Amino acid sequence: MDSVRVDSRRPPPPAGRELIPLKVLVAGGFGAGKTTFVGAVSEIPPLTTEQHMTSLSVGVDDTAMVPDKTTTTVAMDFGRITVDEQLILYLFGTPGQSRFWFMWDELAKGAVGAVILVDLRRIDDCFPAIDYFEDRELPFVIAANAFPGTEVFPDQAVRDALALPEGCPLVRMDAREPRSCMDALVALVEHALVRSLG
Amino acid sequence: MTPDERGHVGRVVPVYAFTRGRTRAAGQELPLEAVVTTTGLSLNSGASLQMESRAIVEMCARPKSLAEVGAALRVPVGVARVLVGDLANGGYLEVHLPRTADGDGGPGHEILGRLLDGLRSR
Repeated sequence: MDSVRVDSRRPPPPAGRELIPLKVLVAGGFGAGKTTFVGAVSEIPPLTTEQHMTSLSVGVDDTAMVPDKTTTTVAMDFGRITVDEQLILYLFGTPGQSRFWFMWDELAKGAVGAVILVDLRRIDDCFPAIDYFEDRELPFVIAANAFPGTEVFPDQAVRDALALPEGCPLVRMDAREPRSCMDALVALVEHALVRSLG
Repeated sequence: MTPDERGHVGRVVPVYAFTRGRTRAAGQELPLEAVVTTTGLSLNSGASLQMESRAIVEMCARPKSLAEVGAALRVPVGVARVLVGDLANGGYLEVHLPRTADGDGGPGHEILGRLLDGLRSR
């Protein structure tokens, strides 16, 4: 199949079949292309899920440090790729604002890993994401999103600037191109697989 | 009622009414990516289900994640979690949980290998 979009005529898995959900997080600074990435590879139009940070919310009793928790809504874009008859991969764009990072622990739990999108004109924006996934020893790849007019830096310069750990893949990509996003996902899963065997 | 800027019509019933004031589903906390499907008996025996619950059972004739259910009903994930948890406990829905290699860890290498094959074949 030429297109990375799934064939919508693919029949739904038969009832009674055991299904296995998987998730990948798409992280990066504000405007780094998270929503574009999710939309480029998702077989459904990207959806938005909301978590209300109110007394109604489930499992947020420990968020007393959030000053305005009665009014805050955190929205996340997400998409889906039906991988085979059993595996369904969900892509979640992480909330961009750092004060919502307490939510990441729920998101990160059980994840395959993360694609961290980097706008090379503003690399500082992705440091918190790199720190987060390194701390939790979650596999991640750096996806340098090609914005028009970005100076071309050699890989080693980017790796040095981001202080990337050895073995962490760096891919050059364009979040508007489905094939390019799929290649970044493949790089992540390859990396996660190697780590799971190590 | 006037649609908002996204074309949605405002909700008249507060979301807590859907969950009868409860904020936690009986049973375990479902992750966002948990997939739910209808069990065979669902729709026939669902006469007493409230409208939102019927809608969930109907949409889950095709597999849907908890996140998708929340988005489709335009309710926060926490509300969807309570409704889905109740429907699962009532036998209307089957829940497919992620399989992780060890406790809080990610998927094991067998599943990762299949995921890789599946993505590469696209």
